[in-house]
Amino acid sequence: MFSNMFTIAQRTITQILRDPRTLVLIIIVPLVIASLFGVSIPDKMILNMTLPAMLATLILFFGFLLSGIAFLRERSLGTRERLMASPVSRIDILGGYLLGFLLFAILQTLILFFYSVYVLKVDFRGELWQIILFQILIGILAVSLGIFISAFARNEFQMVQFIPLIIVPQVFVCGLIFPVSQLPDYLQWLAKFLPLTYGIDGIRALMLEGKGLGDIGKEISVLVAYAGGLLILAGISLRRGHSA
Amino acid sequence: MKESAIKIENVEFNYGHLKVIDHVSLEIPKGISFGLLGSNGAGKTTSIRLMLGLLKPNKGNIFCLGREPSPANAVNTGYMPQLPSLYNELTVRQNIDFFAHIYGLKNAQQRRKRVDEIIQLVELMPKRDVSVVQLSGGMKQRVSLACAIVHQPPLLFLDEPTVGLDPELRVHFWEYFENLTAAGTTLVISSHTMDDAAHCRQLAFMREGKIIAQGTPAELRAAVGKPDASLEDAFLFFIRHGEVKSNVQ
Ligand SMILES: Nc1ncnc2c1ncn2[C@@H]1O[C@H](COP(=O)(O)OP(=O)(O)OP(=O)(O)O)[C@@H](O)[C@H]1O
Ligand SMILES: [Mg+2]
Repeated sequence: MFSNMFTIAQRTITQILRDPRTLVLIIIVPLVIASLFGVSIPDKMILNMTLPAMLATLILFFGFLLSGIAFLRERSLGTRERLMASPVSRIDILGGYLLGFLLFAILQTLILFFYSVYVLKVDFRGELWQIILFQILIGILAVSLGIFISAFARNEFQMVQFIPLIIVPQVFVCGLIFPVSQLPDYLQWLAKFLPLTYGIDGIRALMLEGKGLGDIGKEISVLVAYAGGLLILAGISLRRGHSA
Repeated sequence: MKESAIKIENVEFNYGHLKVIDHVSLEIPKGISFGLLGSNGAGKTTSIRLMLGLLKPNKGNIFCLGREPSPANAVNTGYMPQLPSLYNELTVRQNIDFFAHIYGLKNAQQRRKRVDEIIQLVELMPKRDVSVVQLSGGMKQRVSLACAIVHQPPLLFLDEPTVGLDPELRVHFWEYFENLTAAGTTLVISSHTMDDAAHCRQLAFMREGKIIAQGTPAELRAAVGKPDASLEDAFLFFIRHGEVKSNVQ
């Protein structure tokens, strides 16, 4: 039943694997950014405090970028139209992409996390598997966000404009730089609607406070709801009869 | 009478305020090659997209093989878009295999056999494991055709399949198309060359979203009224006599 979905997932993965330069960049770029972050904060205490939020932000950013651009490229190459003319359903297309890009998002997540722990020697509390699971959830959100935005962007230029619009405000508002509670009221209000707020809250609770997934049910449900909502909206934009 | 492969009733389609398809009605019998002829912007690609269900008409009805176009119906159709729409990083074989799979050839062994056959048919055996990005334009065109026909659909839409092909390959493509119709496949082919038109069993001349004439190549030539009129003459004739003729049929 899901065979088309897996075929599409497999195809997206093969595409990236056959493009060694992209593959190397997918692996190297997170390491470069994490290293820069590590050396730019020489104080170990502060690094320990800030790194979880940075991890959440980078996972969101890389996952969004990768899936957004790739999904858009399919439109500009005309292969999307070809897919839409085939018997595959929208669920197959969205699910296939989600699975395919999730693989790379997870890869980046693991690289970032283990590099932070073993090379930057960042301390963390909480269960390892729970932290990774939560990071994968952020990865799912990132991929959904990328697919959603690129379903609306009509070309590469529009997509590139969306990157700062979607990512930068979240960096400022969602607690990466300053705690949300110290922001002006209207920004605190805005932060409530931005998914990264919940990603950062959740990962801090796990890594800094040593809490478990059971304690961050709210953050998890918001992220799941967000990802689901974005995929549904992306699916609506993929209706036959409306593709171009 | 033979059942028709495609039936278009009074279809109108707009891109925004631009009327691109203007009250088109058309019936395409099964098992023939049907040529949609027209200049740039006449609405050929849009018509094909409508028949595939990629676009929905603002007015009128479209039936493909007796049903409205839908994903469930799509296994029975093949589509070669105007531009070779392929996955550049993937090899020739991987591209064709992907489309074979999503069009329902699930059995890996059968699929492999079929994909090899089709690669042989479009004469790309030596290039089968080369990335599409490294192929010439005409080779991409052949891969694109292969992706459209690998599942042997009864109804095939080819949007300007012969553009950019060398003369030898053009002859080859047409030989192949004739084999397909002989085996019962219905072909809808868009083109702006009269060379292609001459190969089609039936033609529709399109201009500015309207069908200005329709019939067999012989009928259309005869309508000009000169004994040795070419299809080119016929096309120009109908453009000039735009209003007069739409009942030639
Ligand atoms: N996505 C689009 N948005 C707006 N207008 C469009 C779009 N695609 C096509 N058109 C317009 O629709 C009309 C018909 O275009 P269409 O692509 O169907 O022509 P065509 O007969 O296939 O031409 P060609 O021989 O150049 O391929 C043109 O006037 C074109 O400008
Ligand atoms: Mg066209």
